[in-house]
Amino acid sequence: MIREPNALDVLYLIAAGRWTLALTALAFFGGGLMGILVMLLRIAPAAPVRWAAMGWIQAIQGTPLLAQLFVFFFGFAIFGYRVSPWVAAGVAFSIYASAFLAEIWRGCIEAVPRQQWEASAALGLSFPQQLRYVVVPQAFRIAIPPTVGFLVQLVKNTSLASTIGFIELTREGQITTGATFRPFTIYGIVAVLYFCICFPLSQLSQRLERRLHVAR
Amino acid sequence: MSLVRLEGVTKRFGQLTVLDQVSLAIEPGDIVAVIGRSGSGKSTMLRCINALEPIQGGRILFEDTVVNDPATDLRKLRQQVGIVFQSFNLFPHLSVARNITLAPTVVKGIPAAEARRLAEEVLARVGLAEKIDAYPDQLSGGQQQRVAIARSLAMQPKLMLFDEITSALDPELIGEVLKVLESLARQGMTMMLVTHEMGFARNVANRVVFMHQGKVWEHGPARETLGRPRTPELESFLGSVLH
Repeated sequence: MIREPNALDVLYLIAAGRWTLALTALAFFGGGLMGILVMLLRIAPAAPVRWAAMGWIQAIQGTPLLAQLFVFFFGFAIFGYRVSPWVAAGVAFSIYASAFLAEIWRGCIEAVPRQQWEASAALGLSFPQQLRYVVVPQAFRIAIPPTVGFLVQLVKNTSLASTIGFIELTREGQITTGATFRPFTIYGIVAVLYFCICFPLSQLSQRLERRLHVAR
Repeated sequence: MSLVRLEGVTKRFGQLTVLDQVSLAIEPGDIVAVIGRSGSGKSTMLRCINALEPIQGGRILFEDTVVNDPATDLRKLRQQVGIVFQSFNLFPHLSVARNITLAPTVVKGIPAAEARRLAEEVLARVGLAEKIDAYPDQLSGGQQQRVAIARSLAMQPKLMLFDEITSALDPELIGEVLKVLESLARQGMTMMLVTHEMGFARNVANRVVFMHQGKVWEHGPARETLGRPRTPELESFLGSVLH
Protein backbone atom coordinates (compact mmCIF):
# COMPACT_ATOMS: atom_id res chain seq x y z
CA MET A 1 0.00 0.00 0.00
CA ILE A 2 1.49 3.28 -1.05
CA ARG A 3 1.00 6.28 1.25
CA GLU A 4 2.01 9.95 1.36
CA PRO A 5 5.26 10.80 3.20
CA ASN A 6 4.59 12.53 6.52
CA ALA A 7 6.42 14.17 9.41
CA LEU A 8 6.89 10.83 11.12
CA ASP A 9 8.92 9.59 8.13
CA VAL A 10 11.27 12.54 8.51
CA LEU A 11 11.58 11.77 12.20
CA TYR A 12 12.44 8.16 11.41
CA LEU A 13 15.06 9.32 8.94
CA ILE A 14 16.62 11.58 11.55
CA ALA A 15 16.52 8.71 14.04
CA ALA A 16 18.29 6.46 11.52
CA GLY A 17 20.92 9.16 11.19
CA ARG A 18 22.06 8.15 14.70
CA TRP A 19 23.28 4.86 13.29
CA THR A 20 25.16 6.62 10.52
CA LEU A 21 26.85 8.67 13.23
CA ALA A 22 27.46 5.64 15.42
CA LEU A 23 29.01 3.62 12.60
CA THR A 24 31.16 6.60 11.56
CA ALA A 25 32.35 7.08 15.15
CA LEU A 26 33.14 3.38 15.52
CA ALA A 27 35.03 3.30 12.24
CA PHE A 28 36.90 6.51 13.00
CA PHE A 29 38.03 5.52 16.48
CA GLY A 30 38.65 1.86 15.64
CA GLY A 31 40.32 2.85 12.37
CA GLY A 32 42.20 5.65 14.11
CA LEU A 33 43.74 3.31 16.68
CA MET A 34 44.63 0.79 14.01
CA GLY A 35 45.79 3.62 11.76
CA ILE A 36 48.26 4.87 14.39
CA LEU A 37 49.69 1.37 14.64
CA VAL A 38 49.92 0.91 10.87
CA MET A 39 51.45 4.38 10.49
CA LEU A 40 54.11 3.61 13.12
CA LEU A 41 54.93 0.32 11.37
CA ARG A 42 55.01 2.20 8.07
CA ILE A 43 57.78 4.55 9.31
CA ALA A 44 59.59 1.99 11.49
CA PRO A 45 63.37 1.70 11.09
CA ALA A 46 63.13 -2.04 10.16
CA ALA A 47 62.37 -2.54 6.46
CA PRO A 48 60.31 -5.80 6.64
CA VAL A 49 57.96 -4.11 9.12
CA ARG A 50 57.53 -1.19 6.71
CA TRP A 51 56.78 -3.60 3.83
CA ALA A 52 54.10 -5.37 5.87
CA ALA A 53 52.43 -2.06 6.65
CA MET A 54 52.69 -1.01 3.01
CA GLY A 55 51.08 -4.29 1.92
CA TRP A 56 48.17 -3.73 4.28
CA ILE A 57 47.65 -0.20 2.99
CA GLN A 58 47.87 -1.19 -0.68
CA ALA A 59 45.49 -4.15 -0.27
CA ILE A 60 42.83 -2.00 1.37
CA GLN A 61 43.24 1.11 -0.74
CA GLY A 62 43.27 -1.00 -3.91
CA THR A 63 40.01 -2.86 -3.33
CA PRO A 64 36.44 -1.52 -3.22
CA LEU A 65 34.97 -0.81 0.19
CA LEU A 66 31.84 -2.66 -0.90
CA ALA A 67 33.89 -5.80 -1.55
CA GLN A 68 35.53 -5.51 1.88
CA LEU A 69 32.11 -5.21 3.45
CA PHE A 70 30.90 -8.33 1.66
CA VAL A 71 34.00 -10.27 2.69
CA PHE A 72 33.23 -9.68 6.33
CA PHE A 73 29.47 -10.14 6.10
CA PHE A 74 29.12 -13.03 3.62
CA GLY A 75 32.67 -14.37 3.78
CA PHE A 76 32.47 -15.35 7.42
CA ALA A 77 29.05 -16.87 6.90
CA ILE A 78 30.57 -19.29 4.35
CA PHE A 79 32.81 -20.69 7.10
CA GLY A 80 29.86 -21.05 9.41
CA TYR A 81 30.39 -17.88 11.43
CA ARG A 82 27.26 -15.74 11.45
CA VAL A 83 28.23 -12.13 11.99
CA SER A 84 25.69 -9.38 12.56
CA PRO A 85 25.63 -6.39 10.19
CA TRP A 86 26.95 -4.30 13.10
CA VAL A 87 30.05 -6.44 13.59
CA ALA A 88 30.70 -6.83 9.87
CA ALA A 89 30.27 -3.10 9.17
CA GLY A 90 32.22 -2.07 12.27
CA VAL A 91 35.20 -4.28 11.40
CA ALA A 92 35.18 -3.56 7.66
CA PHE A 93 34.93 0.22 8.08
CA SER A 94 37.60 0.25 10.80
CA ILE A 95 40.01 -1.64 8.57
CA TYR A 96 39.16 0.60 5.65
CA ALA A 97 39.74 3.74 7.74
CA SER A 98 43.01 2.39 9.19
CA ALA A 99 44.66 2.20 5.78
CA PHE A 100 43.67 5.72 4.74
CA LEU A 101 44.36 7.36 8.09
CA ALA A 102 47.75 5.64 8.31
CA GLU A 103 48.76 7.12 4.95
CA ILE A 104 47.36 10.57 5.75
CA TRP A 105 49.20 10.68 9.07
CA ARG A 106 52.42 9.32 7.62
CA GLY A 107 52.35 12.18 5.14
CA CYS A 108 51.91 14.65 8.00
CA ILE A 109 54.79 13.11 9.97
CA GLU A 110 56.99 13.32 6.90
CA ALA A 111 55.99 16.94 6.35
CA VAL A 112 57.87 17.82 9.55
CA PRO A 113 61.35 18.93 8.41
CA ARG A 114 64.13 16.33 8.56
CA GLN A 115 66.22 18.76 10.61
CA GLN A 116 63.77 18.40 13.50
CA TRP A 117 64.59 14.69 13.64
CA GLU A 118 68.28 15.48 13.41
CA ALA A 119 68.25 18.14 16.12
CA SER A 120 66.35 15.90 18.52
CA ALA A 121 68.57 12.89 17.75
CA ALA A 122 71.64 15.03 18.41
CA LEU A 123 70.24 15.83 21.88
CA GLY A 124 70.06 12.11 22.66
CA LEU A 125 66.30 11.58 22.29
CA SER A 126 65.20 8.04 21.38
CA PHE A 127 62.94 7.36 18.39
CA PRO A 128 59.74 7.21 20.51
CA GLN A 129 60.80 10.38 22.35
CA GLN A 130 61.46 12.17 19.06
CA LEU A 131 57.97 11.25 17.89
CA ARG A 132 56.24 12.14 21.12
CA TYR A 133 57.89 15.43 21.98
CA VAL A 134 59.06 16.87 18.68
CA VAL A 135 57.51 15.38 15.56
CA VAL A 136 53.93 14.40 16.41
CA PRO A 137 53.00 17.74 18.03
CA GLN A 138 54.10 19.49 14.82
CA ALA A 139 52.42 16.93 12.58
CA PHE A 140 49.15 17.21 14.51
CA ARG A 141 48.22 20.64 13.20
CA ILE A 142 49.08 19.65 9.63
CA ALA A 143 46.91 16.57 10.04
CA ILE A 144 43.64 18.28 10.93
CA PRO A 145 42.35 19.29 7.47
CA PRO A 146 43.07 15.98 5.67
CA THR A 147 41.81 13.95 8.63
CA VAL A 148 38.51 15.81 8.76
CA GLY A 149 38.32 15.56 4.98
CA PHE A 150 38.55 11.80 5.30
CA LEU A 151 36.04 11.79 8.15
CA VAL A 152 33.50 13.53 5.90
CA GLN A 153 34.10 10.87 3.24
CA LEU A 154 33.62 8.22 5.89
CA VAL A 155 30.24 9.64 6.93
CA LYS A 156 29.01 9.36 3.34
CA ASN A 157 30.63 5.96 2.74
CA THR A 158 28.75 4.40 5.66
CA SER A 159 25.77 4.44 3.27
CA LEU A 160 27.34 1.30 1.73
CA ALA A 161 26.47 -0.55 4.94
CA SER A 162 22.86 -0.40 3.75
CA THR A 163 23.75 -3.23 1.34
CA ILE A 164 24.26 -5.71 4.18
CA GLY A 165 21.05 -4.79 5.98
CA PHE A 166 22.58 -2.27 8.36
CA ILE A 167 19.80 0.24 9.01
CA GLU A 168 21.29 3.71 8.80
CA LEU A 169 20.27 6.86 6.97
CA THR A 170 20.40 5.48 3.41
CA ARG A 171 18.74 2.15 4.28
CA GLU A 172 15.96 4.00 6.10
CA GLY A 173 15.56 6.17 3.00
CA GLN A 174 15.18 3.05 0.86
CA ILE A 175 12.56 1.65 3.22
CA THR A 176 10.61 4.91 3.30
CA THR A 177 10.81 5.21 -0.48
CA GLY A 178 9.42 1.69 -0.74
CA ALA A 179 6.40 2.70 1.34
CA THR A 180 5.75 6.10 -0.27
CA PHE A 181 7.20 5.77 -3.75
CA ARG A 182 8.51 9.34 -3.55
CA PRO A 183 12.24 8.79 -4.18
CA PHE A 184 12.99 12.42 -5.09
CA THR A 185 11.52 13.82 -1.89
CA ILE A 186 12.88 11.13 0.39
CA TYR A 187 16.42 10.99 -1.01
CA GLY A 188 16.41 14.80 -1.04
CA ILE A 189 15.78 14.72 2.70
CA VAL A 190 18.45 12.02 3.10
CA ALA A 191 20.96 14.18 1.26
CA VAL A 192 20.13 17.21 3.42
CA LEU A 193 20.63 15.12 6.55
CA TYR A 194 24.07 13.98 5.33
CA PHE A 195 24.92 17.61 4.72
CA CYS A 196 23.79 18.49 8.25
CA ILE A 197 26.35 16.02 9.58
CA CYS A 198 29.25 16.89 7.26
CA PHE A 199 29.04 20.69 7.19
CA PRO A 200 29.59 21.21 10.95
CA LEU A 201 32.57 18.84 10.78
CA SER A 202 34.29 21.00 8.20
CA GLN A 203 33.51 24.11 10.24
CA LEU A 204 34.95 22.50 13.35
CA SER A 205 38.10 21.62 11.45
CA GLN A 206 38.63 25.22 10.39
CA ARG A 207 38.08 26.52 13.89
CA LEU A 208 40.46 23.95 15.38
CA GLU A 209 43.09 24.77 12.80
CA ARG A 210 42.89 28.48 13.57
CA ARG A 211 43.07 27.93 17.30
CA LEU A 212 46.09 25.63 17.08
CA HIS A 213 47.78 28.04 14.76
CA VAL A 214 47.51 30.89 17.26
CA ALA A 215 48.70 28.69 20.13
CA ARG A 216 51.37 27.20 17.84
CA MET B 1 94.16 10.77 25.93
CA SER B 2 92.66 12.66 23.04
CA LEU B 3 89.00 13.61 23.39
CA VAL B 4 88.31 12.75 19.76
CA ARG B 5 90.41 10.75 17.37
CA LEU B 6 89.66 10.19 13.68
CA GLU B 7 91.69 7.36 12.16
CA GLY B 8 91.65 7.04 8.38
CA VAL B 9 87.98 8.01 8.17
CA THR B 10 86.41 7.55 4.74
CA LYS B 11 82.90 8.67 3.91
CA ARG B 12 81.17 8.19 0.58
CA PHE B 13 77.86 9.37 -0.77
CA GLY B 14 77.35 6.78 -3.53
CA GLN B 15 80.33 7.14 -5.88
CA LEU B 16 81.43 10.43 -4.39
CA THR B 17 84.15 10.27 -1.74
CA VAL B 18 83.49 13.10 0.67
CA LEU B 19 86.05 12.21 3.32
CA ASP B 20 89.22 10.51 2.14
CA GLN B 21 91.33 8.86 4.86
CA VAL B 22 90.92 11.70 7.34
CA SER B 23 92.98 11.44 10.52
CA LEU B 24 92.82 14.04 13.26
CA ALA B 25 93.03 14.26 17.04
CA ILE B 26 91.27 16.79 19.26
CA GLU B 27 92.62 17.36 22.78
CA PRO B 28 90.51 18.59 25.70
CA GLY B 29 90.37 22.40 25.64
CA ASP B 30 91.14 22.61 21.91
CA ILE B 31 89.31 25.15 19.81
CA VAL B 32 89.57 23.88 16.27
CA ALA B 33 88.45 25.95 13.31
CA VAL B 34 87.70 23.83 10.26
CA ILE B 35 87.95 25.80 7.03
CA GLY B 36 87.78 25.00 3.35
CA ARG B 37 85.77 25.49 0.20
CA SER B 38 82.19 24.31 0.03
CA GLY B 39 82.12 20.60 -0.78
CA SER B 40 85.49 19.98 0.84
CA GLY B 41 83.93 17.70 3.45
CA LYS B 42 84.19 19.92 6.52
CA SER B 43 80.53 19.77 7.60
CA THR B 44 80.40 16.06 6.87
CA MET B 45 83.40 15.45 9.10
CA LEU B 46 81.67 17.27 11.94
CA ARG B 47 78.46 15.30 11.45
CA CYS B 48 80.36 12.01 11.47
CA ILE B 49 81.76 12.74 14.92
CA ASN B 50 78.35 12.48 16.59
CA ALA B 51 77.23 9.78 14.15
CA LEU B 52 74.63 11.82 12.28
CA GLU B 53 76.37 10.38 9.21
CA PRO B 54 77.62 6.78 9.00
CA ILE B 55 81.17 6.24 7.73
CA GLN B 56 82.44 3.62 5.28
CA GLY B 57 86.02 3.24 6.43
CA GLY B 58 88.37 3.91 9.32
CA ARG B 59 87.18 4.64 12.83
CA ILE B 60 86.20 7.52 15.09
CA LEU B 61 86.90 7.46 18.80
CA PHE B 62 85.31 9.67 21.42
CA GLU B 63 87.38 9.12 24.54
CA ASP B 64 87.43 5.32 24.47
CA THR B 65 84.09 4.86 22.69
CA VAL B 66 84.19 3.76 19.06
CA VAL B 67 81.56 6.04 17.50
CA ASN B 68 81.09 3.97 14.34
CA ASP B 69 80.73 0.65 16.19
CA PRO B 70 77.12 -0.52 15.66
CA ALA B 71 77.04 -1.64 19.31
CA THR B 72 77.74 1.88 20.59
CA ASP B 73 74.88 3.53 22.43
CA LEU B 74 74.54 6.66 20.32
CA ARG B 75 72.17 8.28 22.78
CA LYS B 76 74.85 8.16 25.45
CA LEU B 77 77.45 9.51 23.05
CA ARG B 78 75.25 12.37 21.94
CA GLN B 79 74.70 13.49 25.51
CA GLN B 80 78.41 14.28 25.59
CA VAL B 81 78.76 15.79 22.13
CA GLY B 82 76.58 18.81 21.40
CA ILE B 83 76.00 20.13 17.89
CA VAL B 84 74.62 23.44 16.68
CA PHE B 85 73.39 23.67 13.10
CA GLN B 86 73.46 26.37 10.45
CA SER B 87 69.65 26.53 10.41
CA PHE B 88 69.19 26.63 14.24
CA ASN B 89 66.58 23.82 14.20
CA LEU B 90 64.81 24.97 17.34
CA PHE B 91 61.54 23.19 18.05
CA PRO B 92 59.00 25.77 16.81
CA HIS B 93 56.09 24.45 18.86
CA LEU B 94 57.94 24.73 22.17
CA SER B 95 58.91 27.77 24.25
CA VAL B 96 62.56 28.69 24.65
CA ALA B 97 62.49 27.18 28.15
CA ARG B 98 61.04 23.90 26.90
CA ASN B 99 63.43 23.77 23.94
CA ILE B 100 66.22 23.80 26.49
CA THR B 101 64.72 21.59 29.20
CA LEU B 102 63.32 18.89 26.88
CA ALA B 103 66.47 16.79 26.56
CA PRO B 104 67.66 17.21 30.17
CA THR B 105 64.26 16.11 31.50
CA VAL B 106 63.39 13.28 29.09
CA VAL B 107 66.89 12.00 28.30
CA LYS B 108 68.67 12.57 31.61
CA GLY B 109 65.65 12.47 33.90
CA ILE B 110 66.41 15.79 35.61
CA PRO B 111 63.38 17.08 37.62
CA ALA B 112 61.41 19.92 36.00
CA ALA B 113 62.30 22.60 38.58
CA GLU B 114 65.99 21.83 38.36
CA ALA B 115 65.82 21.82 34.55
CA ARG B 116 64.19 25.26 34.65
CA ARG B 117 67.10 26.58 36.73
CA LEU B 118 69.48 25.00 34.27
CA ALA B 119 67.65 26.76 31.41
CA GLU B 120 67.96 30.09 33.24
CA GLU B 121 71.65 29.49 33.75
CA VAL B 122 72.48 28.57 30.13
CA LEU B 123 70.32 31.39 28.77
CA ALA B 124 72.24 33.82 30.96
CA ARG B 125 75.45 32.48 29.43
CA VAL B 126 74.21 33.36 25.94
CA GLY B 127 72.76 36.69 27.15
CA LEU B 128 69.08 35.84 26.64
CA ALA B 129 67.79 35.37 30.19
CA GLU B 130 64.75 37.57 29.50
CA LYS B 131 63.62 35.43 26.53
CA ILE B 132 62.99 32.29 28.55
CA ASP B 133 59.24 32.25 27.90
CA ALA B 134 59.34 33.45 24.30
CA TYR B 135 58.69 31.21 21.30
CA PRO B 136 61.31 30.72 18.57
CA ASP B 137 59.37 32.70 15.95
CA GLN B 138 59.39 35.76 18.23
CA LEU B 139 63.20 35.84 18.14
CA SER B 140 65.68 37.17 15.59
CA GLY B 141 67.96 34.73 13.78
CA GLY B 142 70.88 35.61 16.04
CA GLN B 143 68.77 35.11 19.14
CA GLN B 144 67.47 31.78 17.84
CA GLN B 145 71.01 30.61 17.23
CA ARG B 146 72.02 31.64 20.76
CA VAL B 147 69.07 29.65 22.13
CA ALA B 148 70.24 26.67 20.06
CA ILE B 149 73.69 27.02 21.65
CA ALA B 150 72.07 27.22 25.11
CA ARG B 151 70.00 24.12 24.32
CA SER B 152 73.20 22.17 23.59
CA LEU B 153 74.99 23.58 26.65
CA ALA B 154 72.18 22.40 28.91
CA MET B 155 73.25 18.82 28.23
CA GLN B 156 76.68 19.73 29.65
CA PRO B 157 78.60 18.19 26.77
CA LYS B 158 82.36 17.62 26.77
CA LEU B 159 82.62 18.70 23.15
CA MET B 160 80.63 21.18 21.11
CA LEU B 161 80.39 21.01 17.33
CA PHE B 162 79.37 24.14 15.45
CA ASP B 163 78.36 23.65 11.83
CA GLU B 164 78.58 27.01 10.03
CA ILE B 165 76.38 28.52 12.68
CA THR B 166 76.66 32.10 11.43
CA SER B 167 76.19 31.36 7.72
CA ALA B 168 72.40 31.77 7.74
CA LEU B 169 72.49 35.04 9.68
CA ASP B 170 72.24 38.63 8.50
CA PRO B 171 75.66 40.30 8.78
CA GLU B 172 74.63 42.53 11.70
CA LEU B 173 73.58 39.47 13.74
CA ILE B 174 76.81 37.50 13.32
CA GLY B 175 78.70 39.44 15.98
CA GLU B 176 76.39 38.51 18.85
CA VAL B 177 76.74 34.80 18.07
CA LEU B 178 80.54 35.00 17.71
CA LYS B 179 80.69 36.78 21.07
CA VAL B 180 78.92 33.82 22.69
CA LEU B 181 81.43 31.45 21.06
CA GLU B 182 84.32 33.55 22.36
CA SER B 183 83.01 33.41 25.90
CA LEU B 184 82.56 29.64 25.64
CA ALA B 185 86.14 29.41 24.43
CA ARG B 186 87.35 31.42 27.44
CA GLN B 187 85.46 29.07 29.76
CA GLY B 188 87.52 26.19 28.40
CA MET B 189 84.89 24.39 26.32
CA THR B 190 86.37 22.02 23.74
CA MET B 191 84.97 23.13 20.41
CA MET B 192 85.14 22.30 16.73
CA LEU B 193 83.76 24.89 14.39
CA VAL B 194 83.21 24.83 10.68
CA THR B 195 83.39 28.49 9.83
CA HIS B 196 83.94 31.09 7.15
CA GLU B 197 84.83 33.75 9.72
CA MET B 198 88.59 33.92 9.22
CA GLY B 199 89.06 36.68 11.77
CA PHE B 200 87.37 34.52 14.35
CA ALA B 201 89.46 31.49 13.36
CA ARG B 202 92.64 33.52 13.72
CA ASN B 203 91.80 35.17 17.04
CA VAL B 204 89.83 32.56 18.96
CA ALA B 205 90.82 29.16 17.63
CA ASN B 206 94.08 27.63 18.73
CA ARG B 207 94.18 25.22 15.78
CA VAL B 208 93.09 25.43 12.18
CA VAL B 209 92.25 22.49 9.94
CA PHE B 210 92.08 23.20 6.21
CA MET B 211 90.05 20.64 4.29
CA HIS B 212 90.48 20.18 0.56
CA GLN B 213 88.99 17.46 -1.66
CA GLY B 214 87.91 15.41 1.36
CA LYS B 215 91.36 15.43 2.94
CA VAL B 216 92.96 17.28 5.81
CA TRP B 217 95.19 19.31 3.52
CA GLU B 218 96.92 21.38 6.13
CA HIS B 219 96.62 21.82 9.85
CA GLY B 220 98.47 23.48 12.67
CA PRO B 221 98.41 26.37 15.13
CA ALA B 222 95.81 28.93 14.01
CA ARG B 223 97.87 32.10 13.53
CA GLU B 224 100.81 30.32 11.96
CA THR B 225 98.70 28.26 9.56
CA LEU B 226 96.59 31.21 8.45
CA GLY B 227 99.55 33.61 8.38
CA ARG B 228 101.95 31.39 6.46
CA PRO B 229 100.10 28.80 4.38
CA ARG B 230 102.39 25.97 3.27
CA THR B 231 100.29 24.76 0.34
CA PRO B 232 99.14 26.71 -2.72
CA GLU B 233 95.59 25.41 -2.13
CA LEU B 234 95.33 27.06 1.28
CA GLU B 235 96.99 30.19 -0.04
CA SER B 236 94.50 30.50 -2.87
CA PHE B 237 91.60 29.69 -0.54
CA LEU B 238 92.66 32.38 1.90
CA GLY B 239 93.09 34.76 -1.00
CA SER B 240 89.54 34.13 -2.16
CA VAL B 241 87.89 34.55 1.24
CA LEU B 242 89.85 37.54 2.45
CA HIS B 243 89.13 39.72 -0.56
